[in-house]
Amino acid sequence: MSLAAGTDLSLLIRKLETIITVSDVERQAIERLPVTRRQLSAHQDIVRDGDHPKQCCLLLEGWAFRYKLLDEGKRQILSVHIPGDIPDLQSLHLPVMDHSLSTLTACTLAFIPHEAMLDLTRNHPGITAALWRDTLVDAAIFREWMTNIGRRSTLGRITHLFCEIYLKLHAMGLARDFACEMPLTQGDIADAIGVSNVHVNRVLQELRGQGLLTLQGQRLVIHDWDALTNRAEFDPAYLHQKRPPGP
Amino acid sequence: MTLSLQPVRIRTESSDEEGQLVMAEGLLVAILIQLSADHGAEAGHWFLEVGFGNLGYPRPAPFLDLTDALAWITTQAGQRSS
Repeated sequence: MSLAAGTDLSLLIRKLETIITVSDVERQAIERLPVTRRQLSAHQDIVRDGDHPKQCCLLLEGWAFRYKLLDEGKRQILSVHIPGDIPDLQSLHLPVMDHSLSTLTACTLAFIPHEAMLDLTRNHPGITAALWRDTLVDAAIFREWMTNIGRRSTLGRITHLFCEIYLKLHAMGLARDFACEMPLTQGDIADAIGVSNVHVNRVLQELRGQGLLTLQGQRLVIHDWDALTNRAEFDPAYLHQKRPPGP
Repeated sequence: MTLSLQPVRIRTESSDEEGQLVMAEGLLVAILIQLSADHGAEAGHWFLEVGFGNLGYPRPAPFLDLTDALAWITTQAGQRSS
C-alpha cells in the first residue's frame, strides 16, 4: 500500500474527458485527491455485498467485475470494468453494497476516501455532473445487458459484449486496430450472459469458423467489425461516447 | 423411477451431435449430448442440453459419463421443484 502519485489520477481525468471538457481548475482539484494505491491479485474481492464502504476505488490497471452469488454457487456477472472506471462510485451515496466487486485480473487500484470525493463534488459542479452522467451511462449499459440476456441469442449476446468492451477500451486509448486484451474466460463470459460454458464454446468456434473474430491467449482480434456489429445488433448509442464511435 | 435412453442425433450447429433422449416411465425428461473434441478437457463428457420440469434449473456442469448424468437426473427428478 502506498500513496498514489498525481499521475494515477490522470486516468480519472482521461475518463472524465471522454464525457466532458475538464477545466484546469477541475484538473487540479482531481489531482489533489488523497488516494491510496493498492495492488490486488486476480479474483480477489474489492468490496462485498453487505459492506459499508468508506472509500471508492479508481481502477488504474487491470480489469474488475461486479457480481452477485446465488444458491449453489451460481454467479451472475453484472458488469465488466476497465482502467479509468470507478465501479463502486454508487457507494458514495448508497451506504450498503447490494452486490460484490472483484478483480478479474491482477489490478492496481487507487482508493479515494468518500469524504474527499464528496468535497470534490460539492466544490466542482462540473465534475459532479460528469460523474452523474457516468452513472447514467452505467444504467444505460445495464439496460442493454438486460436486453442482451433476456432476448438475444447466445451468439448475439457474446458478440454484443465484445463490441461493447472493445469500444470502452478504445475510448480510453486501451485498444486499437480491432484488437484488445480479453481476460474474460469462457466461464466468465457464460456467467455474464447467462448461458453455459458449453454454449459459449460452441459460439466462439462458430464465430472463428465464420472468420469474424479470434479469441486466443487472452487476446481478442475482430476480423470484420461491420459484420460483427450486424450480427450483434449493436448500436453504440447507449455508451454515449463523446467522440464518434468506431475503431 | 426407471430411466431409459434412446440415441438421437441433434442439430446444435456445432460439432456436438450425438445425444440421448432420457425417458422416465414413458415421459421425456431430458436430452443429453456428448461433447466433441472441440471442448478440450471436457471432450467425451455428457452435457444436459435440455432438462424439462425441475431439471431445467440449476444447470449442472457436464458429467464425466452417462452413469453420473443419470444419477443426477434421478436425484433431481425425485425432488420437488423449488
